[in-house]
Amino acid sequence: MTLKTIVVDDEQPAREVIKHYLKDFPEIDIVGEFQDGFSGLKAIQELKPDLVFLDVQMPKLTGLELLELLDHPPLIIFSTAYDQYAIKAFEMNAVDYLLKPYSKERFAQSVQKSIAQAGTVVKTAANVENLVRSLDENPEYLQRIAVKSRHKVSVVPVEDIFYLEAEGDYVMIHTKEAKHLKEKTMKYFESHLDPSQYIRIHRSYIVNAKFIDRIEYYDKESYSILLKNGAKLRASTTGYKLLKQILNM
Amino acid sequence: MNHPVFIDRKSVSVYFGLWALVAGVHFSVFYFFYDFTFEIAGADSIVFNFLFCLIGISLWYIVRYTIPDKTNFWNVAFNHLTYLALTLVVWIGLPYTLLNWLFNGFKPYHDFLMISIPYRLFSGILFYALTGLVYYLIIYYKNLQEKVRTESRLRELLKETELNMLKSQINPHFLFNSLNSISSLTITNPGKAREMIIKLSDFLRYSVSTNTKRFNAFENELANIRRYLEIEKVRFGDKLQFDFDIDKDCCTHKIPLMILQPLFENAIKHGVYESTEQVKIEMKCRHSKGFLEIVIENDFDPDAHPRKGTGLGLKNIRERLRLLYKTDKLLATSVSGTKYFVFLTLPNIEPLETNYEPQL
Repeated sequence: MTLKTIVVDDEQPAREVIKHYLKDFPEIDIVGEFQDGFSGLKAIQELKPDLVFLDVQMPKLTGLELLELLDHPPLIIFSTAYDQYAIKAFEMNAVDYLLKPYSKERFAQSVQKSIAQAGTVVKTAANVENLVRSLDENPEYLQRIAVKSRHKVSVVPVEDIFYLEAEGDYVMIHTKEAKHLKEKTMKYFESHLDPSQYIRIHRSYIVNAKFIDRIEYYDKESYSILLKNGAKLRASTTGYKLLKQILNM
Repeated sequence: MNHPVFIDRKSVSVYFGLWALVAGVHFSVFYFFYDFTFEIAGADSIVFNFLFCLIGISLWYIVRYTIPDKTNFWNVAFNHLTYLALTLVVWIGLPYTLLNWLFNGFKPYHDFLMISIPYRLFSGILFYALTGLVYYLIIYYKNLQEKVRTESRLRELLKETELNMLKSQINPHFLFNSLNSISSLTITNPGKAREMIIKLSDFLRYSVSTNTKRFNAFENELANIRRYLEIEKVRFGDKLQFDFDIDKDCCTHKIPLMILQPLFENAIKHGVYESTEQVKIEMKCRHSKGFLEIVIENDFDPDAHPRKGTGLGLKNIRERLRLLYKTDKLLATSVSGTKYFVFLTLPNIEPLETNYEPQL
């Protein structure tokens, strides 16, 4: 059995090491190498590799954002220089996590591990999902969100978000230019956006306080929040109280 | 400094309360002990004490501008003696005229006024001295408080700056990625690997060993920046281009140690790390009218929505420049299209050794 493999890393010397080490593994068939997150993502979707060596810090899209956008992630081996949060998370869940620079032996271990796991793709997918979830434990708030429509991937800075709206199992992200559907829960965004700016005003809405134009009394149970782009959102009594508290009204 | 009597309602009441008390004692002595009528005792007490109450307020302005530390002794003595004389003339002259006129027909009181002049003079001097002393104490106390506050703030800043310097010294991402590049070069090009190890060692040695100095010649800093960029160039290849345009007479100019390094780290981080296109970093340096004018520019991808940096680099530099040169205006940044500019102006004086420059 051979594993179709691609290497995604923005540094050429780093890719060289991986390719060189992989020469010892006839089961590994390198089908491409890519230098940034976008082209890496495209390659994964088109070439459907079994195994991906993925750097974390890359232009356009980080390795983690890339992973988040994949519906059926292949085996992933992260290779990165230094990331204290990731180290903790990946040690528990990743197919493997290589810290640059790494030895040939350490590298061989992780390749063998992925070869062994290659048959059990379902389990691995779950693993990767776990891994992304455990990364979510990272206490830093989101600064940008990677989203994809049918044809293209874009990165939305959280500053540009007007509000988030619940849409069944998805969340609609409303920005000045567009809206994007993201497969995440409201609860996820509530805990991953800075709560002093992104406020859960309703079961179905999280609003960016920066864009609030004014607040109007609607009826006994609710208030209307008018945004600077003209949008009008409903706030529940609890949501209104939270808003009042955060905006110091 | 504001007038201590008028700082708040409380100080006003304390001041006037004290004078009311003095006036009360004065009245009681005259009324019960010297057996003057109620009117005379009252008028004497009110006129004298109220007048000094006002003089006491005005005395603040003499004290305020006659500080022994800043003014020489003879000046201090002259100011106070003049004002004391003036005080006594006014303080005794005015009430005497007024009271004589008020109680014109009452001879015993008229005689008493004449006899009591030495006592009045004595109490005038005493009041003057007491009020002045209290004012001086207040000023010294305030100055002391202020000094303690400033010093603790400076100490805090120093600690922060030291910490930031330590943090910015060696970026672990840079270090580990460079080591990884070396690991790669040992396979593909051992000669170049050796060269890179030497560059990295020189760079680290410079960062670590020059810590005891505060300033260094521009050319030394420049050489280190060049090493840094060459190391990064091994990682990023043609994606990273750099070009220096340096006037010869800039080279010996003394600049704060490692002040340029964070600027180039930023250029790499926001330019090269976030872009898939070629990124050029340029530095121009001119020497004009006693100032070193440095411009660093780099390409960047405005669509990259970079993760916000900690802002530590620029903040750190600004803080250091402020502590060293006592001005905020030496560092400026601007964006034009896909280019980011940093303007740094460094005075051609090696600033006086201050205690606030970190020593590591």
